Amino acid sequence: MSEITIQGRTFAVDEEGFLQKPELWNDEVAKLLATTEGVTEMSPEHWAVVRMIREYYLEHGNAPMIRLLCQRTGINLRTIFKLFPAGPAKGACKVAGLPKPEGCV
Amino acid sequence: MAEPSAGAGAVERALAVLRGRLDARTTAFLNSCVRCGLCADTCHVFLADSESESMPAHKVERVARLFRRYHTLLGRLTPGFVGAQNLDLEALEGLAAAAFGRCTLCGRCALNCSVGLDPSTIIRFARTVLGAAGMVPKGIRANADLALETGNNMGISRENVLETVAWLEQDLRDTLGDPAAAMPIDRYGARVLYAVNPREVKFFPLSLSAAATIFHVAGEDWTLTSTDFDITNYGYFAADAAAARAIAERLIARAEELGVEELVVAECGHGYRALRWEAPEWLGRPLPFKVSSLVEVMAEYVDHGLLRLDPTKNADRITLHDPCNLVRNGGVIEEQRVLLRAGAADFVEMVPNREDNYCCGGGGGMLAASEHAAKRIEAGRIKAEQIRATGAKVVASPCHNCIDQLMELNRFYKLGVEVRTLAEIVADALVLPGQPAP
Repeated sequence: MSEITIQGRTFAVDEEGFLQKPELWNDEVAKLLATTEGVTEMSPEHWAVVRMIREYYLEHGNAPMIRLLCQRTGINLRTIFKLFPAGPAKGACKVAGLPKPEGCV
Repeated sequence: MAEPSAGAGAVERALAVLRGRLDARTTAFLNSCVRCGLCADTCHVFLADSESESMPAHKVERVARLFRRYHTLLGRLTPGFVGAQNLDLEALEGLAAAAFGRCTLCGRCALNCSVGLDPSTIIRFARTVLGAAGMVPKGIRANADLALETGNNMGISRENVLETVAWLEQDLRDTLGDPAAAMPIDRYGARVLYAVNPREVKFFPLSLSAAATIFHVAGEDWTLTSTDFDITNYGYFAADAAAARAIAERLIARAEELGVEELVVAECGHGYRALRWEAPEWLGRPLPFKVSSLVEVMAEYVDHGLLRLDPTKNADRITLHDPCNLVRNGGVIEEQRVLLRAGAADFVEMVPNREDNYCCGGGGGMLAASEHAAKRIEAGRIKAEQIRATGAKVVASPCHNCIDQLMELNRFYKLGVEVRTLAEIVADALVLPGQPAP
C-alpha cells in the first residue's frame, strides 16, 4: 500500500496507482486520477468510457469486456486506446477507480 | 500491498521442501557457483540498480547458504565455517525479495557463467520453497488460482468469449470486405487450434483480429476454442509444479479433444515456453500435436508464399524486442526477423539482441507482482535505453507480457514509441488477394 498526492489530495493506492478504496471515487477523483494517466482534459468520450466501466464494476465486481465497453458507449476500439494511452485496463479502469484487473496487465 | 504475510507454520512448510529430495540439476548448480561475479554485468536488474543484492551470484548464494545448512555435513555441524544459514522467517523474507523482486527468470546470467550453471533454475527452486511458505506475491498467486478455478487467468466466461469472437468476426468481414471471412470457434477436426492470452479477449483484441486476418488470408484450416483457451501459466511463475501442470493440461486436453494437428500459441513468451518445452516434462509424455508460436507459423506462410507483404505499408522505423522465454529460452530467434524484413521498410536491431537480449524487466511474473512495481520500472531502464538508441518509432514484441511492460516504459521514460505485436505489423503489411503485388 502506498499513497499518491494529486493537487493537494492524498489517496491510498496500490504500488501501480490503482485506488485502494473504490468507494472514495467520484468525478473529482476521476479527474485527478486521469492526470496520472496522461489525460489532461476529460472529454465527453472519456467520461462515457469511465462511467460505463464504473457502472459495470458496481454491478459485477470486475471490469467489463472491451466488446461491451465499445458496444455500450458506441466508441470504437482504436479510439479507446487513443483516449487512454495506457489502454483500457491500466488506463481507463484506473481512472474509473477500479482495483487492478487480474491477468497479464 | 505489503510483502505477502507468511502464516503460522510457514517456516516448517518451507523447510520440508528445502529438506526434501532435490533434482540432480538443482543440486549440482547449488554446489557449483564459485562466486566469480562474471554474471553481474549480464543482469538488467544489477545494471540498473548497482545493488550487490541484485547480482545473480548473490541471489544464488542466498539459496546455496540454506542448501548447505540442510544438505551438507559441515553445514549441519559447523554452519558458521561454511557459510550455511538456518531457514527462518527473516531468511524467507530476504529470499522472497530476491527471487521475486530482483529476478525475472530471464536466464541471461547463464550465458556468462564461468562454470556453466543456470541461476534461474535456482531461483525457481527458491520460489517453490517460498510457495510452500505462502510467500508468492499475491498477484501471481491470484492469477494462477483464477486460472485453476475458471479456466483462464481473467475469469472470462464462455459466453463472453463467444460474444467477443462474434463481434470481432463482424469487424473482420467489414474490414476485409469479405462476407466469407470467419473466426471459427470450437470446430472439431480443424488442422490448427489457435490459443490466446485472455487479455486479448478481454482488453486487447487488436492482436486477435490481426491473427484472424492472417489465418484467413493464408487459407489456414483453423479454430479458436471457447473453453480452456488460456496459454498463460502463472503456476510456472509461482514455480508450483502441480498448478503449472494442471493449467497446461487443460489446454492440451482441449486440443486433443478437438483433434488438431498443431497448437499455435499466440504471442506470449512464457506461454510458448510452458506449452512447447515444459508441458511434456510436466505431463511425462510427448504431446500428440505440434506446438508452434504464431511467429513461426506466420514466417512459414511468408516462406511458402501464402502471405504477400508490402514493407512500405509499415514505413516508420521499427525495432524488435526479443522476449526471453520465446528467444533465449524458447529457440524462436530468426522467424520474427524474417517477418520484419519482409513487412517493414526500416527495421533496425537493438543492441544486444537475439539470445543475448536484455529482459524488458517485466518477466517472470514481475508484471503481476504489484509490490515490486517500482523495481520493475527501475530495472526496465536498460531496455528503455536500448530502444531509445535505435531511434525507432515502433517497438515490435511477440509477447503480451513484454508489451505491457514496454508500454509502461514508453510512458515512464518518455520514449515516444508505439508498442505492437508482430501479428499487428504483419496484418498491416498484407497484400490482400486481388491486390497488385508491391
